[in-house]
Amino acid sequence: MTNRLRVVFATSSVVFLVVLAAAPLKNALREYHGYQREYRRLAAERAPSARLARAVASRPDRIEQIWNPGFGNRVDRCVTCHQGVSEPTLAGAPAPFGFHSETAHTPVDLDQFGCVFCHGGQGLATTAAEAHGLTRHWPTPLLPSVYLEASCGRCHRGAQASEAPRLSKGRQLMERYACYSCHLARGYEAYTAEAPSLSATPLKLRASWVRAWLKDPKALNANARMPRFRIEPGETDALINYLFSRPPAVELASRIEAAATEPPGDAAKGEVLFRESRCISCHTVEGKGNDSAPELSLVGSKASRAWLLAFVRDPSAFNPRTPMPAFDFTPEEARDIAAYLSEELRDFSEPAQQESPFQPNQRLAEEGRKVFLKYGCFGCHPMEGMSGQEKIGPELSALADKKVSSLDFGRRSDLPKTLAAWVGAKVTEPSSFAPGLKMPTFSLQTEEVTSVVTALLSLSGEGVPDEYQPISASPNRVTAVPAGDVGRLFDRYRCLSCHIVGASGGDISTAPLTFEGSKVTRDWLESYLLTPYTIRGILPERMPFFRMNAGDAKRIADYIADVFLDDSIPSDAFGGRPPAQEEVAAGERTYTRLGCNSCHILGQAGGYYGPPLSDAGDRLKSGWIAYWLENPQRWREDVRCPNYGLSREQIVELTAFVSTRHKIAADPAAGSQ
Amino acid sequence: MRIELSPSVWWYALSRSELWRSIIRHGVTDSSRNRSLAIFQNFFLHMHPVKVRRKALEVRHTYYLGGISLALTAILAASGILLMFYYHPSVPEAYMDMKELQFTVDIGTFLRNMHRWSAHAMVLVVFLHMLRVFYHGAFRPPRQFNWVLGVVLLTLTLLLSYTGYLLPWDQLAYWAVTVGTNMVRATPVLGERIRFLLLGGNIVGANALIRFYVLHCVALPLLLVLIAALHIWRVRKDGGVKGPLAEDEETLEVYR
Repeated sequence: MTNRLRVVFATSSVVFLVVLAAAPLKNALREYHGYQREYRRLAAERAPSARLARAVASRPDRIEQIWNPGFGNRVDRCVTCHQGVSEPTLAGAPAPFGFHSETAHTPVDLDQFGCVFCHGGQGLATTAAEAHGLTRHWPTPLLPSVYLEASCGRCHRGAQASEAPRLSKGRQLMERYACYSCHLARGYEAYTAEAPSLSATPLKLRASWVRAWLKDPKALNANARMPRFRIEPGETDALINYLFSRPPAVELASRIEAAATEPPGDAAKGEVLFRESRCISCHTVEGKGNDSAPELSLVGSKASRAWLLAFVRDPSAFNPRTPMPAFDFTPEEARDIAAYLSEELRDFSEPAQQESPFQPNQRLAEEGRKVFLKYGCFGCHPMEGMSGQEKIGPELSALADKKVSSLDFGRRSDLPKTLAAWVGAKVTEPSSFAPGLKMPTFSLQTEEVTSVVTALLSLSGEGVPDEYQPISASPNRVTAVPAGDVGRLFDRYRCLSCHIVGASGGDISTAPLTFEGSKVTRDWLESYLLTPYTIRGILPERMPFFRMNAGDAKRIADYIADVFLDDSIPSDAFGGRPPAQEEVAAGERTYTRLGCNSCHILGQAGGYYGPPLSDAGDRLKSGWIAYWLENPQRWREDVRCPNYGLSREQIVELTAFVSTRHKIAADPAAGSQ
Repeated sequence: MRIELSPSVWWYALSRSELWRSIIRHGVTDSSRNRSLAIFQNFFLHMHPVKVRRKALEVRHTYYLGGISLALTAILAASGILLMFYYHPSVPEAYMDMKELQFTVDIGTFLRNMHRWSAHAMVLVVFLHMLRVFYHGAFRPPRQFNWVLGVVLLTLTLLLSYTGYLLPWDQLAYWAVTVGTNMVRATPVLGERIRFLLLGGNIVGANALIRFYVLHCVALPLLLVLIAALHIWRVRKDGGVKGPLAEDEETLEVYR
């Protein structure tokens, strides 16, 4: 053997030796050892006793994990470094050692859920970069904390998820902006948008208004729900021709045409009626109002007077699903309201001259039909002969499970390659990915985008085991909406547009009707239906003045008093005896001590956050008052009235005081003489 | 009589004991017969010729490629056996076991990487070995049969490499095997059947995984060791390493 060969042999031997030595060395220097050393130091510093400090300081280095064989066999080793997650003494410690913030499931349920189900990342890993899933090809990197509530929504599939306000807001926005009209999603198969029917277009709208609206709805109405489509000018012409070429339904046409022949009303009287009827409990006028119904500031420039008049008289004839109640206006009153709407609520900068009726071109109308189909307009606006059309957008059901590698980033090379960024950009600027995409722009605020992305990222197709399914918050709630005659009245006055009954109904009113019969007295209810007054002045939404006839009011009051009851709430808190004077006096002292008057008006003074109690004895049943005082949040979760944890005795006393306040008696000393 | 217990006495007693003679069966005297017996009766030495020409040990005779292949085989066997302790050939566990090796098993990453890189090196070295043999004209008589054995060994190396590829059960593995078995399908007449046999079904699934595992860990390694033994033995029987062509030797003109 040559000398050179010996040198080569010796060198390569040394190299192999080094490699062999490096492997165990690298193994012994894994990064979690450092984290565990630092944790032991921190935890010993904060330990409540010297014994515990010694115990934690002498803990050996080891890989720790949360293993859930019953939950997809998840293994989360995050706790190898995040050692303080369930150690309250480490609250506020620097990352990664801090105590997990308290939520409905943490830190109590940490062992059931692990970390990755909510936070994403790679649970098996024991190095920071791999665990956080920021390495190539790991499909579910750490979910950015702004979207964290998306994980709540993977189990909590209802529209409202308690403790997840952003998720709930996002789901609400997705319904509001009718995402499900174009995109199928599990649980929303039956969704239909609340967009107006276009059947009476030639009798309702002007072509110039439709053109402006199609260009940018938000320019005409900042609260418009309709998004901005990128319709080409030629297509807009065709679309307008199509919409104006469709003959309105005969019945509607005759109503509108008849209304057109009526004499004009008095706009000034109409304005008074508009206020009395509390239209802004649902509608918005110049930004004021509830914004759950269309903005009316420019409605006069949009809809014809005849259409407005016919609509106010019977909204459900135009749209059977409208949430708008029928008001029992006299013919003159309806004319006055229509006059107010069309003369006062319009764009005064516009020339007042009458626009000549639009003459549709049949060839363009044919093209317009194709445009209508192309942009999926039928998704929101019901159109004859298009009910069976497939939704034009891709299904969203398993959006959260999409792999980044399967996403088309198109022109958006600026985006980080994550699902959250992709979805965010799709929601904000759908057109920026490629030319010719049909999804419209919704012009949402940043916070709204975050909420919608959160809701979208909760749409996972991955199931959870039955024992992980959330228990329904209120299983004993009745869901029955009345049938029969009372049902027809409920429908006529659209009680459920604002009030919750069981599991259905809108949330405009703060008074759910489910157990209303246990809460208020029948007589008060009947008088209130006939002439509603303001109970909580702080809210812009008030009960509309329906001008209900006495028969209807009696029927509804009887029904609610007999049926909408909770058997666990007694009707009388005193078991049939009248409240004793000592109790009333003691109750008054409690009332003063707790400072109830800072929210409630009683007599001449008090706050206006809560309802006034001056007539509480006429309005409320004493049993309900006691029930409320036991735990106000039991009635509704979002009630602000504090739960003072009163004793049974104090409750009875306070109830005695409140339930003896009568408007008719008008004598504040009546109970304590 | 008093015997002095010197090392030579101990050695004398040990080398004539029953135990020693049951293992080392030849004498210790430095005779030609004993030297031959020492070679014949030792498997490892027997693989090698009794005499090796000094020239044949020069680097340019073999570039040590055959020896390196043998060493890699040994490394692969050793690391492979260790990996088998951590690996379950089942669909839900296979990939998780890769993660365990990476994140929790001591030196697991090193073990797996050693197996992987040795396997890559083996394919390369075996190819180079074949080229060396070809350019030295070592496939010509009397070595023609050993060339055939070599080609079989090359094929076995490639098959081992391919079957091992599926075992991590990741996307790369899955699609590589899907593509590979679709290529098998292109075999005339028998294509579909061979593919079915290989996969234990029509798709790359649990059956394919267990088949590839058994092939990778049992069947192919056994064959490889047997044929490699034969291969090395033939080297000796065919007169040792061929080496580069001599000055006066005719050059190869394969395409004549």
